[in-house]
Amino acid sequence: MWLFALPALLINICIILVPAVLTFTAAFFMWDGVGTPAWAGLANFQNMAADPVFWSALTNNFIWTAIFLTVPVCLALVMAAALLMAPKARIVVQSIIFLPRIIAVAVTGRIFQGMIFSPVTGVVAWLNEHGFSISDPLADPDRSLYAVAAVDIWHWWGFLAVVFLSAMRQISVDQIEAARLDGAGFLALFRYVLIPGIRPTLILMLILTVIWSFQVFEFIFIVTRGGPAYGSEVLATFAYRHAFFEGDVGQAAAAACVMSLFGLCATAVYLWLQITDDAQST
Amino acid sequence: MTMTRRQLVAAIPAAALAANLPRGARAEDARKVVTFWFGQANSDGQAALRNDLVEAFNASQDKYLLQMEVKGAAVNNLLKVALVAGNGPDIVQTAGPAYLTAIANAGQVLPLDDFAEKYKWKDRFLAPLLNTSVYGGKLYALPRDYESMHLFYNKELFKQNGWKLPTNRQEMEEVADAALAKGIIPFGAGNADWKGVNEWLMTVFFNNVAGPDNVRKALAGELPWTAPPFVEAVELSKAWYNKGYFGKNYFSLTIEQSFLQVVNGKAAMALNGTWSFGTKSYGMSKPDTVMDVMPTPSLGTAFTGPLVHLACGATLSIAKTSQNAEGAAAVFEFMLTRKFYETMNRDWPGKWALPVKDLPPEMLSGIGYPLFEKTISNLHEAFSKGQYGFTTWTFWPGATNSYLIEGIEQVWLNKITPDAYLTRMQTLFSQEAKEGKVPPLPPRTA
Repeated sequence: MWLFALPALLINICIILVPAVLTFTAAFFMWDGVGTPAWAGLANFQNMAADPVFWSALTNNFIWTAIFLTVPVCLALVMAAALLMAPKARIVVQSIIFLPRIIAVAVTGRIFQGMIFSPVTGVVAWLNEHGFSISDPLADPDRSLYAVAAVDIWHWWGFLAVVFLSAMRQISVDQIEAARLDGAGFLALFRYVLIPGIRPTLILMLILTVIWSFQVFEFIFIVTRGGPAYGSEVLATFAYRHAFFEGDVGQAAAAACVMSLFGLCATAVYLWLQITDDAQST
Repeated sequence: MTMTRRQLVAAIPAAALAANLPRGARAEDARKVVTFWFGQANSDGQAALRNDLVEAFNASQDKYLLQMEVKGAAVNNLLKVALVAGNGPDIVQTAGPAYLTAIANAGQVLPLDDFAEKYKWKDRFLAPLLNTSVYGGKLYALPRDYESMHLFYNKELFKQNGWKLPTNRQEMEEVADAALAKGIIPFGAGNADWKGVNEWLMTVFFNNVAGPDNVRKALAGELPWTAPPFVEAVELSKAWYNKGYFGKNYFSLTIEQSFLQVVNGKAAMALNGTWSFGTKSYGMSKPDTVMDVMPTPSLGTAFTGPLVHLACGATLSIAKTSQNAEGAAAVFEFMLTRKFYETMNRDWPGKWALPVKDLPPEMLSGIGYPLFEKTISNLHEAFSKGQYGFTTWTFWPGATNSYLIEGIEQVWLNKITPDAYLTRMQTLFSQEAKEGKVPPLPPRTA
């Protein structure tokens, strides 16, 4: 079995484990990215803890996680259930809702920035011309994170819906028909048949959402670069800024370690749930 | 290997063709390649780089072959990684002395003193610019250009409204208030595509309010950034932002959109850099009937008169691992030719304004862009006489400069006070000064 897994294992060691160990090590050094690293002990973590921007970035990661564990998941579940009940509309609707997923992130970001939120060239400008007083949410430090999240949700929820629909289609038709014969309406079917039927897929997607939420970078970097006034700063943009603008690779590595910590916690929860499920099924 | 008769017949014309190739094409194999990574360049810029630099250099001699790659905005990050891995280009271009400091301190680029001696570079470059690349008494780079913040304004709008060109803060605010009263944005400004716009503005506020001498003292560690002149500078920037001098959409507009506001008469002025001449989409023309430009006036009591700000937008070095340092130096020497200066500044104004000492008027008039020629001539004179302020992107160390850019948004949006902003800046600056990360300051006189 080990021989069978060896190619994948070697690739993982080279491109995942080695960089991960190097990043972890870099967190304990002062390094500008080109010179000789100098041992710093826990100084990078101490400096990070003393920086209010780190805490606001961490808070934003939690807010982002909460948003993505609820809004796109609820939208996707309802859409998947609706498509399950309406097979004729499935192909057309799935194509439409999946489309944002295949558009490049940079393009999506620029579309929302210039054609939706811009007070000069976007929908916001049009609304202002027609009597609605709306400002650009990307320019407001208290709303910019939510505005970028809206862009990412538009990009993400269709994919999630397609995944949930595939899982729902694995549920036995007999079970659904039996529930209907027993008088279950859409909500009851959804609550007592569909959700329990896709539980493993749902849990996997929720766990992945937590991991991805602590790694979120592209949309925020493209649309707001973490601003204005650090309003949409997250750990990844915090780390990027330290590594590439401030020449402080050690501090960036420390932030990356915190990001990974949350990912590891989520993975541990997933493994624990798998073990629990296995124990219950045997 | 045996050849069939048919293959032999087919090979004859090919051999004949090869024998008749022009001498240059055959010689290319024998030439030593010089590699050069360039950062961002628009289509005009890429054409200028190709025609005026690469092809012109390669045609000018037969020893070296210059190969250039335009790497885009991420070039600084790519370069650092490549240099550490020993795979960088021969010619190392950084985005200015603030970026060069770490690379030079790490010994990733060669000292150029021998080449400088050979080609007399120290006699041919303006000392304030050349000295921004001297570390520990050794020269590590040549300045590719000089830049400064300037006040661009719509002269038609000024004429129509009877506004006088401002010479101090009071007059500047009178014009700005008059513009606001007419529904005109005083300063077209926007940072949606480049947060560095914040530092363009703060360069003006720090230097033109606190005065260049105080800025120099702070950079030399003789005056803290929390001193009253800097508090006044930050407070004025906040007051102007809150009054709406930069318009309602500062965080939503791109640089191009905000500059076009001035050209189109929706805004009166713009605090922008001399590199603006090189971007056609900004809407300026040659000769310009709408726009004009002047050095930024004093905004405080520390000095009187207009001020330019010393900036070096890019430095050119030779990688430590270069196998062809002589070739790279030959490219630098080519850049110092009069023909290159004229063609490059004609095709891409402002991007490659080499800070040469000898800049006769006829050399500038060959460019054919009166507004640009006037600006460069003024810059050259001010830098030669040592009369200048200091730009943040040339003289501030990395972390302090990054905070200057990001933190000022917190001040303008009332998240922190000017005092808190400057206290944090001072903390970061002290740390970086201790670590030797502050770029060198040029002598005050030329």
